[in-house]
Amino acid sequence: MFQKLIALIILFPVLGISQNTAIGTNEKLVFSASYNISGLPTEIAQVTMETSKVNTSSSTLMRLKCSAATYSSFDSYFKIRDLYESYVSPKSLTPYLYKRDINEGTYNKFEQYKFNHKSRHVERTMRKKKRSGDIEEKKTVTISDNTRDIVSTIYHIRNFDFQNANPGAVQKFSFLFDNQPMTINVKYLSKETLNTDIGRKECYKMAISLNKSDILKGNNDNLLWLTADANKVPVYAKFKIAVGSGELNIKSASGLKN
Amino acid sequence: MKKLFVVLGFIAAILSAVLAVTPLFKIAYFPSVAALAFGLAALYLSRRKQLPRKSVHLVLLLTLMALTVTTYKAIFNTVEVSDTKDLIQKEDASKQEAIETLEDIEIDE
Repeated sequence: MFQKLIALIILFPVLGISQNTAIGTNEKLVFSASYNISGLPTEIAQVTMETSKVNTSSSTLMRLKCSAATYSSFDSYFKIRDLYESYVSPKSLTPYLYKRDINEGTYNKFEQYKFNHKSRHVERTMRKKKRSGDIEEKKTVTISDNTRDIVSTIYHIRNFDFQNANPGAVQKFSFLFDNQPMTINVKYLSKETLNTDIGRKECYKMAISLNKSDILKGNNDNLLWLTADANKVPVYAKFKIAVGSGELNIKSASGLKN
Repeated sequence: MKKLFVVLGFIAAILSAVLAVTPLFKIAYFPSVAALAFGLAALYLSRRKQLPRKSVHLVLLLTLMALTVTTYKAIFNTVEVSDTKDLIQKEDASKQEAIETLEDIEIDE
């Protein structure tokens, strides 16, 4: 459940666009994730989204890093130290390598996708720690033209041109998660002004849903707010899952591109 | 009737005291309110029938302590992440591995 919750926290956005105009290579966003217990939000973990430049011998890529760590008060009950990474083209946010290393209580899992966009294949490696011994699996998956990983999908939405979108417009995006192709629907709802820890912001409000998945519950209960400026920073998210509901609140934002 | 209220009050007060010291302290308000209600009902019955009130006072005292701790934590408690050494090491190692892996991947920007 917590894997789904953390994935969900890290999951939200996606819409289409080819050029990256919103995300710089030195950006850091810090969020606080809360879980509603009997209607009272309880802060459980810190989620950090960071970008940086990565140089290989032949190219310069952007590293999109999302990490989640439970607050120290929860560490002795259920410690989470998750790391999600995607290495993408800084211009188009096309992913080339995706890594997921999750450590949640006694649950450990590593996953890696190597994207080959020419042959439309993803080479997947998965390692899991079990009492009976470690498991390693390697598979090749065929993907469609615009399939991404979950992390690059999150960042991708921020390049959408909301100014020319009509409220009610729905966009679908494909991504690979847990070796399963999934489709996320993003519905642009309206503009709203929110008070956040980084100030009072005018935001684009969106409803998120997943096709053929039972992770997200409710109709229009999973919402995301992005600032209505050139950076389109995610400032607030609400989600509903099988075992309750939660929120993601921005705490700080630095190194923004615009 | 008074005994029933005292027993229920004790159960709720102990539950609120236990919850008040956990990270889920906010939900301690629910049993605290119940313990207060049972305690006050037991106090009312004790006064009306001139019965001993020691156990009732204990329920109310325990509830008050749990409420004080919960409220203090709700106001002054600040959340922080500690013990991130492993995560930082994991991030650095992962980046180095990724750079090596990316050398074998065809990148067409």
